[in-house]
Amino acid sequence: MPSGQDIAALLPFLLLVLGALVLMLSEVFLRSGGRGYQSGLTIAFAAAAALAVPFAPQQVLFGGQAVSDGFAGFVTMVVCAGLALSALLGRGWLETRNMERGEYYALALFGASGMVLLGMATDLLLAFIAIEVMSLAVYSLAAYPRRGQRPPEAAFKYFILGSFASAILLYGSALYYGATGSTLLSAMRGGGGALLAAGLSLILVGLAFKVAAVPFHAWTPDVYEGAPTPATAFMAAGVKAAAFAFLTRGVLAMVAGTPFAVGNELGGVLGLLAVLTMVVGNLFALPQRNVKRMLAYSSIAQAGYLLVGVIAASRPESRAQGTSAVLVYLAAYAVTVIGAFSVLAVMEKREPTPDAGSADAWDVSRFAGLASRRPWLAFAMAIFMLSLAGVPPTAGFVAKLSVFQAAAGAKAWGLVVVGVLTSIMGVYYYLRVVVAMYMQPAEMEEPAAAPPTVAIAIAVAALLVVVVGFSPEPLTAWARAALLRM
Amino acid sequence: MNPALQSYFPLAVVIVLAVILGLTLLGLANLLGPRRPNEAKSSPFEFGSRPSGLGRDRFDVKFYLLALLFVVFDVEAVFMYPWAVSLGDLGWPSFVVMAVFGATLVVGLVYVWKKGAIDWSRE
Repeated sequence: MPSGQDIAALLPFLLLVLGALVLMLSEVFLRSGGRGYQSGLTIAFAAAAALAVPFAPQQVLFGGQAVSDGFAGFVTMVVCAGLALSALLGRGWLETRNMERGEYYALALFGASGMVLLGMATDLLLAFIAIEVMSLAVYSLAAYPRRGQRPPEAAFKYFILGSFASAILLYGSALYYGATGSTLLSAMRGGGGALLAAGLSLILVGLAFKVAAVPFHAWTPDVYEGAPTPATAFMAAGVKAAAFAFLTRGVLAMVAGTPFAVGNELGGVLGLLAVLTMVVGNLFALPQRNVKRMLAYSSIAQAGYLLVGVIAASRPESRAQGTSAVLVYLAAYAVTVIGAFSVLAVMEKREPTPDAGSADAWDVSRFAGLASRRPWLAFAMAIFMLSLAGVPPTAGFVAKLSVFQAAAGAKAWGLVVVGVLTSIMGVYYYLRVVVAMYMQPAEMEEPAAAPPTVAIAIAVAALLVVVVGFSPEPLTAWARAALLRM
Repeated sequence: MNPALQSYFPLAVVIVLAVILGLTLLGLANLLGPRRPNEAKSSPFEFGSRPSGLGRDRFDVKFYLLALLFVVFDVEAVFMYPWAVSLGDLGWPSFVVMAVFGATLVVGLVYVWKKGAIDWSRE
């Protein structure tokens, strides 16, 4: 039976679920009432969940299936920040398209609750439930605009491929159960053998799909492009954070237990995934003139750098360094990518939906000469692009630096070299947007003014990116502190 | 084999027996049964009446919503049987847990109801 302690430990998750239920009910009962309260309520519940994190007692839940530790708290904070920022963005984006409804925010809250649960999970069954709660909500968010061709297409691709990945994950969990007699991650201790290796491989495939690692990345560009921009921002930040949190937990549990994994097979497989993801993600992003697709490929590339952090976390000599680098990277990426998508949302054509006819809706030429027309918007976009490229002084630089430092600590020099080289490749396509904004004459019609809430989201994200870039110590110290309570 | 899996051995036996039994019955019927087809026998069975229209027909999306709601509450009922049987041992805390579970589903029902999804007369 749940005690008061259990409920306090689960409070962030419970608050997000409660928020989703409240928004569903308010949608049908306050129908005639004023619009615009939905995003406010969402942000309030996200803030309440984030505020509940420091008060959550550190404890094991559900007989070892979950744990409310500092690591889970950090992930919860990142998810809540992503939810709040994307709700601000959603308010402006949906309102201008007359699609402001409680369902959007209810789905986002359900998705966030799944992400928070996944950050706490230490059991494959609970993780599967959390992944499904998160994924089903995100599939629906991708289809949210309904009209137009792109959103349903994106949602369908995401749903079919995502369900396939979930099935593979479940199959892997079944083999894992067969090998160890339990679905707990800690059951790997002392285990081994071919059955366990097969199970872990399938689980890795399922998770690699969720984090968009090559070669399980094919869905990402179409889904990111077709989904409504606020939903894309939310899934880029939240799904990645939650899935990487569980992947890191799994890898840590694996190296803590099984002798066969340490350094050899695991490092080889993850290393191959990381190198492929970094190279392919960056290579495919290079020719993209469509900024939204470019950000999708960039999201794949970022998964590669995060995998480097996970590999560092799997080595005993750089365990703490690698794990905290993953956390720092997730936080920096979440804020940066939501900021970048917010700017994109402002630049988007204001049709009811971006349908197939407006493939140029996100073309880089729309950014030409933006600096002379909207200096602040262009400045913010430049900050986000530099942060994604990993140029100082931005949060993205801090994140990349800590990941590569951790990899160097693990003596994974090959990964560091590939990482740095592909980052340099990335500078080219990120800077193309900056060049268009600052050095090309304006071609397109005057862009619409940013709705106030979107402007706030952009300003907050830009401020966070720059502040973390100049003084990274609070964030890195927080990530290290999160590990001490793990 | 892992000791935890050994308790599943009877299940494996049942599955093997079920497959053998099913195949045997189908095979025997195929081998021994007489075959004298006529028009009435080879037409599709539709509750004894003469079949009309095609098997694949468009039907109202309302049926789908109703079926989905049925599944949700059907599964809830499945959860409730073991809970109801052992309620005496579990006591009031388990009652609260199940009440929260039920209330969450009711919120969904209220939402669907107010949205008009199960309003049959609405066009």
